[in-house]
Amino acid sequence: MEAASIGAGASQRRRSKGIPERRLAVLMVAPSMILIAIVAVWPIIYAIWLSLHEYSVRVAGLSRWAGPFGLRNYSNALSDPAWWAALEHTLIFTVVSVALELLIGLAMAMAMHEAFRGQGLLRTVVLVPWAVLTVVTAIMWQTMFVSPYGFVNTVLGTSTVWLGSEPQALIIIIIADVWKTAPFMALLILAGLQVIPGEIYEAAKVDGATTWQRFTRITLPLLTPAILVALIFRTLDALRIFDLPYVLTGGQNGTSTLSTIAQEAFATNRIYGLGAAMAVLTFIVVMVVSFSYIKFVGGNIRGLADD
Amino acid sequence: MRGRFGLSAALAVSACALVVAACGGSDSSSSSSGGGGGSSSSSSGGVTVTGAKVIDPNSMNSPPKGTIHYCQGKDTNGAAHENVKLFNQKYASQGYKVVLTEFPASADQQRAQFIQRQQAKSNDCDVFSSDVIWTAEFASQKWLYDLSPYVSKFRAKYIPAPLETVHYANKYWGVPASSDAAFLFYRTDKVKSPPATWQAVYADAAKQGGIVYQGAPYEGLTCDFLELGFAAGGQVLDSSGKKSAFNSPANVKALQLMVDGIKNGSAPKAVTTYMEPQTDQAWTSGKYGYMRNWTYAYAADQTGGSKVKGKYAVAPLPTFEGAGKAGILGGHNSVISVYTKNPGLALKYADFTASPEWQKISLEKYSSAAILNATYDDAGVKKAIPYAAELKQALGQAKARPVSPVYPQISQAIYKNVNDALAGRASPADAIKKASDQINSALSTF
Repeated sequence: MEAASIGAGASQRRRSKGIPERRLAVLMVAPSMILIAIVAVWPIIYAIWLSLHEYSVRVAGLSRWAGPFGLRNYSNALSDPAWWAALEHTLIFTVVSVALELLIGLAMAMAMHEAFRGQGLLRTVVLVPWAVLTVVTAIMWQTMFVSPYGFVNTVLGTSTVWLGSEPQALIIIIIADVWKTAPFMALLILAGLQVIPGEIYEAAKVDGATTWQRFTRITLPLLTPAILVALIFRTLDALRIFDLPYVLTGGQNGTSTLSTIAQEAFATNRIYGLGAAMAVLTFIVVMVVSFSYIKFVGGNIRGLADD
Repeated sequence: MRGRFGLSAALAVSACALVVAACGGSDSSSSSSGGGGGSSSSSSGGVTVTGAKVIDPNSMNSPPKGTIHYCQGKDTNGAAHENVKLFNQKYASQGYKVVLTEFPASADQQRAQFIQRQQAKSNDCDVFSSDVIWTAEFASQKWLYDLSPYVSKFRAKYIPAPLETVHYANKYWGVPASSDAAFLFYRTDKVKSPPATWQAVYADAAKQGGIVYQGAPYEGLTCDFLELGFAAGGQVLDSSGKKSAFNSPANVKALQLMVDGIKNGSAPKAVTTYMEPQTDQAWTSGKYGYMRNWTYAYAADQTGGSKVKGKYAVAPLPTFEGAGKAGILGGHNSVISVYTKNPGLALKYADFTASPEWQKISLEKYSSAAILNATYDDAGVKKAIPYAAELKQALGQAKARPVSPVYPQISQAIYKNVNDALAGRASPADAIKKASDQINSALSTF
């Protein structure tokens, strides 16, 4: 109480002109809020608005409210088995690819964390896949898996039609994604590793902890916040996967995703209402996943920030 | 505070999912204001396009001086640059100029780029090189000049099939610019003369290493399938254009032949992932006896490390046993944007591209199939293009793909289900029926 009133008195003295501090804060934040509103909020509102309407594909300029409560586009999307199939593929892709990226990224980070000659070079080289454009990555993997003359078939001596079979096509997309983004995961985890003080390890060594014990009892617990941040980023990214299936399989052979079918409805078929509804549904799926991450692991993120 | 930051960050990341959809958003309220000719109302089979601007064919004789922009996909072989250069040389003294704008090489991208400009009512593209399958869609959105008065005057000089691709709702919406059709490529060292029927081709292919074609789920497969389906007597839409006629014994028979071909080893299973580049790659490896591909491959597959250099010839697509022969028409049309400020000059340029003078150069030098009958009888063309006679024959038997504003959906219904059947995920009869149902729901799109 005492401290608060002293603080208030001091600030009043500073502002003799008389803009209350609260309003000043609002004024100073306003420009960036307006910018965010234009760049982030308006497109979302516009997409939701589109999703509640139907725009004629055959008659120029004709549009109407989309049926009961404006939800016909949503009911059309949700009653289409193609949407549920895309959801299934997207979830499988997300769970498997993010899990693999985490394991491989962790291993890469541990390796990069050790001090040795050429460490800088290794860190740069490891990042190369992440630097390559996803579409280029996709074309590269396509060339490797093309049947029957691709690199993979030549090495294995097979003539498997990798990209034309289920579930091989989805597996290749997962491999390509893991190849590309494991380094990103590694980098985020490496950043977390570097803030763990070396003294803790030294103390543990003195107490006779084995390497494995040091990893499970010290490294992992202290790394959890960094890992969770990395997981959130990758999961949200993976749920929106588009470019790899678009280039590798055109979304056929069990590789359609929420984004490929939304793009097909919106851009290829120009059914704007349905396409926007599918995008909003993707948004909802992503939101649900984000909220559950924050609900279940929110404490840990706060823990990281408080450190 | 920190918790809230985490939450809003999650919000912002997930919001990106929406931006993709929002940025392409259309405000397609139509404007029928503006001069440049009268208005037309047209209908065919219940399809109408009303209030379109109509071109005045005489406007091209002495249009106002100025510059117009011609848009097309990436000019990979330099043909468009030469076309524009010749036009500018010819008319510079009169104050006319055309500037070339190149869009990306991908057809989907070209279409998207043009659509975005038209939705913005931009005059970036006075003339656009439209793939033959887009014309109906653009016309129904009132983005194109009705060119009927001009096209009707010269109807006789065009090969009929390319002309059909600009015909929608009883009007002509573009000037044919180039055409294309597929050939049956065969190895002259393995096959003496090309078999007369598709059935015989598949039977012989099993002994000659196989036939390769485009079986990946994309527009190319729609063409590859319809070539057999149309030859077998199948159809996509009924005569009213409002209902699917796809579910027919003829189409099932055609698909059955393709599916059996993969099962018996007449075609490698890998064709289900092939687009044109992979087809060329397989063909030039020298392993296969037959290939179905567009005309470009005749010259392209002689180059580089090709193992079939000088070892193949082309024939028009064969007959379907007990039925007829067919083909699918490719190519581009010059369409004129309603937002052009100089429709007369735009027409003058479209007319130049369709002229005998340019069509001859285009075929001789760039092996792009001409849209005029006369070009194929030219002695110079016959000498430069060894397959000129086969090409004219192939164009003669080719048909246009369904002309519809919802064509993209119709094509998806065909290529996705045909691909499912080729990959063994559905029986031919089920695939055709499912495609037909999907075509019907596409046709009922608002």
